[in-house]
Amino acid sequence: MSRYATLVVLTCMMLVLTGTAQAQFGPSGTTTLSVNVGAEAALRIDTGTTSLTAPDTAFGGDYTGTTNYTYKIRTTKTGGTGTIQLKVSADFNAGGPSVASPPSAGDTLQYTCSVTAPGSGCTGAQTASTSTPTAVATFGADAKSAKAGNTGSVGWTLTNDPAYSTGTYTATVLFTISAT
Amino acid sequence: MQSYAHMTATTLVGSLRQPWLALLAMAATPVCTSLASTATATQSLNALIYPIAKLSVPATVALSAGATRFSSFTGSAAVSYRLRTTPSGGGNITLQVTSDFTPAGGPSAGSGALTYTCAGATIGTSCSGTQTASTTVQTPVLTLPASACTGGGGACSSQDPNSVTLSFTVPDDPGYATGSYSARLTFVISAT
Repeated sequence: MSRYATLVVLTCMMLVLTGTAQAQFGPSGTTTLSVNVGAEAALRIDTGTTSLTAPDTAFGGDYTGTTNYTYKIRTTKTGGTGTIQLKVSADFNAGGPSVASPPSAGDTLQYTCSVTAPGSGCTGAQTASTSTPTAVATFGADAKSAKAGNTGSVGWTLTNDPAYSTGTYTATVLFTISAT
Repeated sequence: MQSYAHMTATTLVGSLRQPWLALLAMAATPVCTSLASTATATQSLNALIYPIAKLSVPATVALSAGATRFSSFTGSAAVSYRLRTTPSGGGNITLQVTSDFTPAGGPSAGSGALTYTCAGATIGTSCSGTQTASTTVQTPVLTLPASACTGGGGACSSQDPNSVTLSFTVPDDPGYATGSYSARLTFVISAT
């Protein structure tokens, strides 16, 4: 008799399981959509090539120019930070100015920063380097840019040294943005 | 012949040790008896088949960030359904955001942040183009034709259940605060 009792129990369990499987079909159903939004940052350099120019007066001023950029950023709500930095990844070609080995002491490639909120621009004039990233902008916790991005700019100043040979010189500057 | 059948059944009952088998044999006796005579009868069977439709959706759908920064979050879900429509009927599947993304500070379906496309319906016509999910109205997923039915082949579909795939998109707006957000969608199927 116990065998038949077992059979009956198993049959009932199958019916229950079958009913459970079919129960997921109904006239309506719900789904929970989930999305995890993390810290993120990106930037675009809007001035593809920045020309540094000097005034017409002989050695009356340094070479200057401006590089514009657009950034997007989202930092962590609590304790998050963000930065924009730059580094001269390829120095000027030989015979002219040089970031790493200037022909005269005191020759520099310097820049100042301007950035719209939520960023804060670097303070004062910064000296660009080929070895160390230097500050352009910083961001605090829960910083959120506009959907289309916010803007900033870097104003360059390159020493006008008579020691430079005439010619056109090019350097490459790498901008990096990060967020935590 | 009838008495022989009764005797046989009685003998069997008497020889059975299991009480339930004895009851079964006794119950079968009238059947055996009826086999002894021949008769014909007709009976009309009327089946009233109603239109019906049911669906099943995954409990959760995770939206993932794109490969490039600030590209949209995307995810897909297969909606399974079974249906039967009348020759003059049809049906549809719709969805509505019944609970917007929470907590606050992230995407908002109420602001049009959740869009979707529909594809691959094994019966019916998928929604056209990109739909914007709403918290206030039902938006289309699928339109079901007349005289449609799930499974069994022939006039019905060979697939059982039928399915349609939805692809969801939420823009990765820098204005969203970091965190995890979830919203609830309710799908409804109807058939006539």
